Amino acid sequence: MTIQLKGSNGGEEEDRTAPGIEPGAAAAVGFRARLAGVSLWDLVQMECQARSHLVVLVTGESGIGYLYFDRGHVIHAVTAERNGEEAALEILGWTNGSFQPCERPWPEARTILTSPEALILQVAKRRDEASNLVAFPARNAPERARAATPDDDVLDEIELFELEEEGAVSMRSTEISDSPPVPPAARADFPSAEFPVMLRLGSHGAILKNSGGSEELAETVAYVRRLTELVGEFLGLDGFSAIECSFAQSRVLAFVDSNGDTVVLRPRPEANLQALRERLGL
Amino acid sequence: MTEADAYALSEGMRASLATLKDVGGITGSFVCTPNGRLAAREIPDLFEDGVLAEAGSRLVRVREAFAAGGDVLDIGVVRFRDHRIYLKAVGDSLLCILAEGAVNMPALRMAANLVGRRIAPAVTRLEAEPPPEAPTHTQAEPTQPTRMPGAAPPGMRRFRGRTID
Repeated sequence: MTIQLKGSNGGEEEDRTAPGIEPGAAAAVGFRARLAGVSLWDLVQMECQARSHLVVLVTGESGIGYLYFDRGHVIHAVTAERNGEEAALEILGWTNGSFQPCERPWPEARTILTSPEALILQVAKRRDEASNLVAFPARNAPERARAATPDDDVLDEIELFELEEEGAVSMRSTEISDSPPVPPAARADFPSAEFPVMLRLGSHGAILKNSGGSEELAETVAYVRRLTELVGEFLGLDGFSAIECSFAQSRVLAFVDSNGDTVVLRPRPEANLQALRERLGL
Repeated sequence: MTEADAYALSEGMRASLATLKDVGGITGSFVCTPNGRLAAREIPDLFEDGVLAEAGSRLVRVREAFAAGGDVLDIGVVRFRDHRIYLKAVGDSLLCILAEGAVNMPALRMAANLVGRRIAPAVTRLEAEPPPEAPTHTQAEPTQPTRMPGAAPPGMRRFRGRTID
């Protein structure tokens, strides 16, 4: 993350936005810094430690948001679609972007009572529980509306889910940013325990990620994907997107991710796949 | 098995396949044997026999690919943008149902199960038959009538993609 911590060392510019320096304060002391590779969490903790009273514009991979700091707390947050704690969690979930003090009207009331540490822990927990991001292909709105249930209000938000994987990268790893940006509003956790096998295959069949899967399964699904695409061509059916196969003892689902990868899932026999099926149009 | 027997089996299956259309959103269905034969069809003529056989043989290979890893396919659903193909194993053959994307899946599953059971005996008999010989150039111009007496009812000219005289 690139940050801009404005300040000055006594020059003509009166940057008063370094941690601990209130906007509008008369003093203009401190350093101007331009740092790269710093995590947003560190910056938030710095501002809290400095007991800053300021608003910070966070530009992330999925939009912009504002964090309001006051006396060691994040007291308010705003994103395009959220307010308060939800907005703070959304912002803290971003992994790339910039962090820049700015001028904004102060909120009339404090909307976040949770401590900054608890906010970060909450985001960290979500990330630690899962490390592999898998995007669902979005289905057409009419069909989704037809099948809508109260639970779908949540499920509709799922554009990707996260699965445990051996050797998982941490939240702060830059590997996560390799995934195509997905709106945080569309994120939700998916119970990884229901999918002991997960494979991600590149467009040429190479295994990009593997959790519990075998090379044989990868080869099978790579071949199956090609076959189903051929079937589509023969029958004039466009847009192969997913397949589910039920066997005597198990099931396998595979779908085409938004970047063209094939994601293969072998759920536990007792897993309820209804939500996933609806999402994949199966 | 004579051509007439095979035809009768195929027609019986076709009648069963037709009942699938009681479920709204089903375009049609066909049955493909492990050796790629189109055993029966109840699907608009838009889909020619050859096309269905080609598609069916790939779907049979999907089944074989999983079987190679020890997974014996029972049911499959392939999703395309606006359509689904529902696969139901019947013996060693595959019942393939082409449906719209918005088809009622529980109803489709139930209908496919019932039809699968109903056509299973006929499918088993057809599977035992050797695959039809590919027509050669010399066979395409027969000098003698190939129709056996009483082999095909009047007006019924096509069987599994071949014209019956």
